[in-house]
Amino acid sequence: MRLRLYVAGGAPNSVLAIANLAALCRKHLQVNFKLEIIDVLKFPRRALADGVLVTPHLAKLSPAPAARIVGNLSDSGSVRLALGIAT
Amino acid sequence: MSLARALRLVGKGPERHALQTGEVDAVIDTANGNVLLLPEAKRALSAAGGEPANGLLAALPSRDYLHLLGEFELVPLALGQVLYQPGERIRHVYFPNDAVVSLLVVLELKALEVCLVGREGMVGVPLALGVERASARAMVGGGGTALRMKAAGFRAELERCIPLQRELQRYAHAKLLLARQSAGCSRFHQVEERLAYWLLMAHDRMGVSGMQVTHELLADMLGVRRVGVTNAAGNLQRRGLIKYHRGDIRVLDRRGLEAAACSCYRIVKTLAG
Repeated sequence: MRLRLYVAGGAPNSVLAIANLAALCRKHLQVNFKLEIIDVLKFPRRALADGVLVTPHLAKLSPAPAARIVGNLSDSGSVRLALGIAT
Repeated sequence: MSLARALRLVGKGPERHALQTGEVDAVIDTANGNVLLLPEAKRALSAAGGEPANGLLAALPSRDYLHLLGEFELVPLALGQVLYQPGERIRHVYFPNDAVVSLLVVLELKALEVCLVGREGMVGVPLALGVERASARAMVGGGGTALRMKAAGFRAELERCIPLQRELQRYAHAKLLLARQSAGCSRFHQVEERLAYWLLMAHDRMGVSGMQVTHELLADMLGVRRVGVTNAAGNLQRRGLIKYHRGDIRVLDRRGLEAAACSCYRIVKTLAG
């Protein structure tokens, strides 16, 4: 699975989103994922080009169907659902 | 940027819901590509000048820092909270943002502070040196937040991340110098100058002029009786260097406090930063 997470540096919700996503990946995907983290404070153009409106924003790039989730990813149930990960 | 403006910018959809539940840090203005921070995120980032609040983490290349963030959780540390007792297995390491943690040696029933860790450092240094158990009591001396990482994750990251290894080696060396200095300081210097020294160290580490700390805690930290701290704090207050009211200490005259502190402050600052 290819994932891309857009964050705003070390802002609280961004830190939380990274930690939540890392925990979820470790638990459910083990080594079977590739995660790219983009700091929009450093690369603002990337966010604009990819249609990102807020951070944190997680994009599932592959496999299809593509999905996007906004917020700090605290609700692991709905994040798993959006990513299509079985419990 | 206000929440109302942020809501206007995102329109409808899941972004709106995330904004309303407080889960958003920044909004991207599609008209010009500007990244606009929400007040909470702005506060958290500006406290650290836009960089990680913790100095050890700020010194890392941003790629390594962002990678490490995945292993962290942001935790509040409450005044008086004990993170480790001597001999206990270290389960987490802590990189303080605005919290200050005191490392104390415990002899019989008494404790003496040997080191103060704030946003310049890390709590759990033994783990970086391959030792799994704490040798000192780690107690929160000033409430705030810290980034916390599990011991196993930390060991793995340390093995992988050379810049982190380098930073922690430099930091461990600085702590060694500090411990040597403390041994002499607690034996030869007076309570008032040691209190001034402690307040300066805490001031440097917290980055704010006010801190919450009781006389009792200060007495433990300096290894003296409470009345000794009360007298010393009273003297510093009369000299107009600090203001003390019900556990709230405010530094009023930093230069004056430096002049009132023992020579250890200058020496430690020069040698260890």
